[in-house]
Amino acid sequence: MDYSLQELLVAASAAEIKDGDVIFAGVGVPTLGALVAKLTTAPNAIIAMESGSIGPQPYRVILGIGDNPCVENCICTTSLWRLFSDQQRGYFDVGMVGGAQVDKYGNLNSTAIFGKGSYTRPASRLPGSGGANDIASSAKRTIITIPLQRRRFLERVDYITSPGYLDGYDARERAGLPGGGPAAIITNKCVFRFDPVTKEAYLYSVHPGVTVEEVKAEVSWDLKVAEDVKVTPPPTEEQLRITRILDAGGIYTQGNLKNLTFDKYINMLEESYESLKEIFKGVR
Amino acid sequence: MSVVEIDWKKKNDKRMTLKEAISTFVKEGCSIIFSGMGGAQCVAQTYEIIRQGVKNLTLIGDSPCECGDMLIGAGLVKRAEIAWCSYAVAGLGNNFRRAIEEGIPHPIELEEYSNYTIGLRLLAGALNIPFMPTKSLLGSDLPVYNKMIKEMEDPYSGERVALVPAANPDVAIVHVSRADQKGNAQIEGFSSNAENMARAAKHTIITCEEIVSTEEIMRYPNLTIIPQYAVDAVVELPYACHPWNFPYAYAYDITFHAMQLEAFKTREGFLKWLDEWCFAFDSWEGYLEKVGYGRLDKLRRIERRFTRSSL
Repeated sequence: MDYSLQELLVAASAAEIKDGDVIFAGVGVPTLGALVAKLTTAPNAIIAMESGSIGPQPYRVILGIGDNPCVENCICTTSLWRLFSDQQRGYFDVGMVGGAQVDKYGNLNSTAIFGKGSYTRPASRLPGSGGANDIASSAKRTIITIPLQRRRFLERVDYITSPGYLDGYDARERAGLPGGGPAAIITNKCVFRFDPVTKEAYLYSVHPGVTVEEVKAEVSWDLKVAEDVKVTPPPTEEQLRITRILDAGGIYTQGNLKNLTFDKYINMLEESYESLKEIFKGVR
Repeated sequence: MSVVEIDWKKKNDKRMTLKEAISTFVKEGCSIIFSGMGGAQCVAQTYEIIRQGVKNLTLIGDSPCECGDMLIGAGLVKRAEIAWCSYAVAGLGNNFRRAIEEGIPHPIELEEYSNYTIGLRLLAGALNIPFMPTKSLLGSDLPVYNKMIKEMEDPYSGERVALVPAANPDVAIVHVSRADQKGNAQIEGFSSNAENMARAAKHTIITCEEIVSTEEIMRYPNLTIIPQYAVDAVVELPYACHPWNFPYAYAYDITFHAMQLEAFKTREGFLKWLDEWCFAFDSWEGYLEKVGYGRLDKLRRIERRFTRSSL
């Protein structure tokens, strides 16, 4: 079965979820991945959204961390500070975070690209931490999603918004961070994991058709490579089927937001109701 | 420690128009915070502040969208104590970017936190204590560039914690599902940081989709997130979040939002948007008429298919 890169990334995100995991997810491909996991291999997973919604099973695509689908068929609506307190307490197994830059220890920058400027007058100002710092601090493991590009994969990020392993080894523990740190970096070309001792990222798997050299060319430090680099498993037919139902409008997997009209949007919502209701039946 | 002014809060009928509420409580140089998180944003309230041109605001917030980006673009924000400013799926906060990258329309002071630690600042403010310790922020660059974040060892266990200062904004604007005329505010769905910002602020303006009787509030007292004694004013303000969603009320108008944010990509486009969608009208009703009640009704009806209010 043919699949798109975005669909492969959904499957790769889903592969990181274990049954029973409590997950902090942002919108887009990571949430699609978490939902695909819930509807296949991890039926007891609980997805939480920062606005304060726990366990939604929406019959439409989620368009924001406080979009109405976040409260749809959920088990609890509460407040932001309460949800993050639950995470700080240690109830959250997985956090999904992104950024504009990442370094060899999995530290993420979503605050500012300094360029020739500085923090106060950067070349490119990004939105900021939001909840990413909190998730990276306290989730038992974090999954990072970021495109593989040389300007993004740096020896050291300009600004650590979300802590990875800081300077490596036991730096996280010494800083007093309760969470376990990054478990994987998922990119458009490959997946990285982290050395258990040095905490440095290494190439774990390449996506089908991608070479190790291609990956190394897009990383600006001397990348370590696993002795037996794997090939990222392509999406299964079941994962593809569910991904295409969850994002039937192709908002995240086909970049269709820019072509969307109001009438098409309302139709998309109407059509998704029955098809999503059907696939959620098995996980109640 | 903040001094709570109680005269407004003791009134039995706190109903006002949005225009009155903003002109009464939102003063030049004040600090202000808005409810909402990743949706349910205070858009009508933002437009009214822009219409009244209240300057030199200190914006406090977790992840403000219109109430951050548009107030900054309108030149009304002197200082922002926030965790994030953008619009997520529909687009970027280009006014915020222009202010930081190019000083347009003027530079702003920035004091950055994370969503949770803004929540803890408000919790500390609501508890009337001076700060809150947390396990967030440690090891990151947030404390490097924001000297208000302190680190210390827990005097009991010796563990490292970061400290964030209490926030007691001059004004909190909180949008809820329904409230009575005394300000008992009920919400269906998530509350982000609303209950704490209302208690922490010196003045709290409740805006609601619908004003109901106190008897109606009493039928579901567990839905009251803010009791009347923490409220100064009540404004009935339907569709206040458009183009954003509001849980159990109306769906996200993402195609309208995409059009709006396309306009915000340039300074000229933003200013033209303000002329056409904000300054052209005397009140939010003008905006809603321009959007079209047919369109708004479609957003309300489609939402009923997915989430139905139990009230």
